[in-house]
Amino acid sequence: MSDRTLPRLLQTPAVILLLIWMLVPLGMTLFFSFIRYVLNSLRRPEWTTPSIENWRGGGNYSFVWNNDGFWLAIYNSVFMVTSIIVLTVLLGLAIAVLVNKNFPGRGIVRVLLISPFFVMPAVNAVLWINMILDPVLGLQGLAVGGLSNIVDALRGLPVLGNFFSLWPEIEPISFRATQTSAIAVIIMVTWQWTPFAVLIFMTSLQSEDQQQKEAAILDGANAWSQFRNLTLPHLGRPIAIVVMIQAIFHLSLYAEVEIVSRGNGNKNLPYLIGELSTNNIGAASAAGIFAVILANIIAIFLLRMVGKTLMD
Amino acid sequence: MAGLTLRNVAKSYGATEVIESIDLDIDDGEFVVFVGPSGCGKSTLLRMIAGLEEISGGEISIGDEIVNDVAPAKRGVAMVFQTYALYPHMSVYKNMAFGLKQAKMPADQIDERVKAAAEILDITPLLERTPRALSGGQRQRVAIGRAIVREPDVFLFDEPLSNLDAALRVQTRIEIARLHERLGTTMIYVTHDQVEAMTLADKIVVLRSGNVEQVGSPIELYETPRNMFVAQFIGSPKMNFFGPDDLSEKGHALLGNPDFVLGLRPEHMAKVSEKDALLTAVPNLIENLGEYALVHCTTPKGTEFIVKTTDFTAFEKSVPANIGADPERAHLFDAKTELRIER
Repeated sequence: MSDRTLPRLLQTPAVILLLIWMLVPLGMTLFFSFIRYVLNSLRRPEWTTPSIENWRGGGNYSFVWNNDGFWLAIYNSVFMVTSIIVLTVLLGLAIAVLVNKNFPGRGIVRVLLISPFFVMPAVNAVLWINMILDPVLGLQGLAVGGLSNIVDALRGLPVLGNFFSLWPEIEPISFRATQTSAIAVIIMVTWQWTPFAVLIFMTSLQSEDQQQKEAAILDGANAWSQFRNLTLPHLGRPIAIVVMIQAIFHLSLYAEVEIVSRGNGNKNLPYLIGELSTNNIGAASAAGIFAVILANIIAIFLLRMVGKTLMD
Repeated sequence: MAGLTLRNVAKSYGATEVIESIDLDIDDGEFVVFVGPSGCGKSTLLRMIAGLEEISGGEISIGDEIVNDVAPAKRGVAMVFQTYALYPHMSVYKNMAFGLKQAKMPADQIDERVKAAAEILDITPLLERTPRALSGGQRQRVAIGRAIVREPDVFLFDEPLSNLDAALRVQTRIEIARLHERLGTTMIYVTHDQVEAMTLADKIVVLRSGNVEQVGSPIELYETPRNMFVAQFIGSPKMNFFGPDDLSEKGHALLGNPDFVLGLRPEHMAKVSEKDALLTAVPNLIENLGEYALVHCTTPKGTEFIVKTTDFTAFEKSVPANIGADPERAHLFDAKTELRIER
C-alpha cells in the first residue's frame, strides 16, 4: 500500500458524493431532452411519464433551436451579462479609487456602499421597477414631470419663451416595455453588484505599494498616468475575479427578469427554460443543455483571461 | 549638476515637530550622508528635498533655484528607494524608460540613455526581464539605473542597501562609490549604518531627533566628535565612557575635572603595566574574530566597556587587568552638557 492510497481512500466518499450530485441531474436532463415528456396532456397521456419509449431523438433540440424566443434569449443573456460586467467594473474602479482617499466619515461611507449587496434580488427588482423607474409614480416619472412643468413655465416667458418652445417635449421612459426592459434589469443588477466590485478593488488598492507611487511621482507621472501604469495593472487579478464570479451569477438571472416584465423583451435563457418547463419538460431540458454549452463557451474565454492574469 | 542649500528647514505634523530647523550647505558633486538612529528625521529630510513631503518652514534650493513649490519631477532629483519601488508590471527597460517617456523624450534618445545606463550598471542582459525575475542585488541596480537615465542634478538614496544581504551590501557600497566617482554628481545618502557613512561620505551629517548634531568629514567626526552622541554613533564598536569613579590616579590626572567624562575608543585601549593603567577591570567575555578580539569588561564600579585588541593572549577571562590608552587619543566631555571639552 503506497502512502497515497490511504488519503485517496479517505477522500473517496466525498468525491463520489460530489460526482453523484453533479452527474445525476445532468444525466436526467440529458435523458429528458431526448424524449417526449410533458406534465399535462389530455390528447397523449402516455407522454406524461418519462419513458424511453417516448424517444424523440433530436426533436426537442430542433424545437428549441427554431423557437422564436431562443435566439433572443441567448442574445439577452449575453447582452445583459456583458453590460452588467462592464458597468460594475468601471463604476467599481471609480468608486474604489475615490473612497480609497482619506476623508471624514470614510467608515460610514464604506458601509453604506456595501449595503446594496445585502438586498434580496427580488426586493431589489421590486424597489427599482416600482419606486424609481416607474414612469408615473417612480422617481423617474416625478423627475421628468417636474422638468416638463419647468420647461412649460419657461415657454410662457416673453422673448425667451420662443427659445424654449423649440425644445422637444420630454417623455418619461417606460421600463416595462419590450425595448427597455433589458435595460431596466441591467440598471438594477449593476446597482446591486457594483458594491461587490468596490469591495474587492478596495482591499486590493490598500495593498498597493506606496513607494512605487512616489517613484512614479518623481518620474513625473501625473495622477492618470499613475493609475494607468501602476494601479490598473495592480488590479488585473481582482478585475479578473470580479468578471468571472459575476459571469457565473448573472448567466442565471431570473428574479429581476420575472419582476420587471415577465420576460417581455428581456427573456434570457433561464427564463426561457422556466417558461418551457411549465409543461414541456423535454424542450426545457434541451434548452438547459444549450445553456450548459453557452456557459462553457463563456467559461473557456474567462478561464483563458483569468488564467493569463493569474500566471503573470 | 548643482549644489544644495537648506535654510531653517522645518517639518511638523500638526503640533509634532519632526525637524526643528536645519541649515546645511551641500557643494556641487559632494557625497553627503545623513546618518542617525531611526526616528531622527533623516528620511523625512531626504523626502522633503525630493518633494515627497511638504516643507513646513524654511527654504530648500537646488542650484540657485528655491524649490519649495516646485513639483518633485521638476526639481532635477532622482531617488533610489529602500524597497527599490520598481514598477512590477514593466520590464527592466520600461522601468528605466518610464520617467523619460513621461517627459515626452523621443524614443531613440530614450533608447540611447537606457542602454548607456544599463552598460554602466552591467544589467544589459536583464533589460527584457520583469523585476520579479531579478535577485535583490539586480533589482537594486535597476533602481539605480532608473535614477541614472534621468541625468539628475542630485541623486537621493534612501537606505538603499538595507534590504541586501551582508556580502552584497559591501559590494554594492563599493559600486555606489565608483558610480559617484564616475558621474561626479551630487549625491545625498540616508543610512543608519555608520560604516556606510564612514566609507562613502565626503561629508557626514549626524542627526538626532530632528536636529543636526554635527557636520563634517568622516575623519573629523571620528577624531573630534562635538558631543557624546556623535562620539558614540561614529565608530564601531562604539566609544567607551568613564566617570571619575572608574579611573585610577593616572586616569584622574587625565580627566582633570570630576565633572568631566573620559571617552576612549575600544581600538585605542590595551593592556598595560600597573603604573600606566588608567583603570582596572575584569574581562567577562572575549569574542575572538580571528583578525582581532573584542574583550567585554566591567570596572569595579559596574561600568561596562569593550576593548578591541589584536593581542589575543593579553586578556584572560575573570582575571583583573590593567587597561590604558594613548592619552593623545582620549576625548573629554562635560558630563552635564555632553559637549566636547578641548584639552
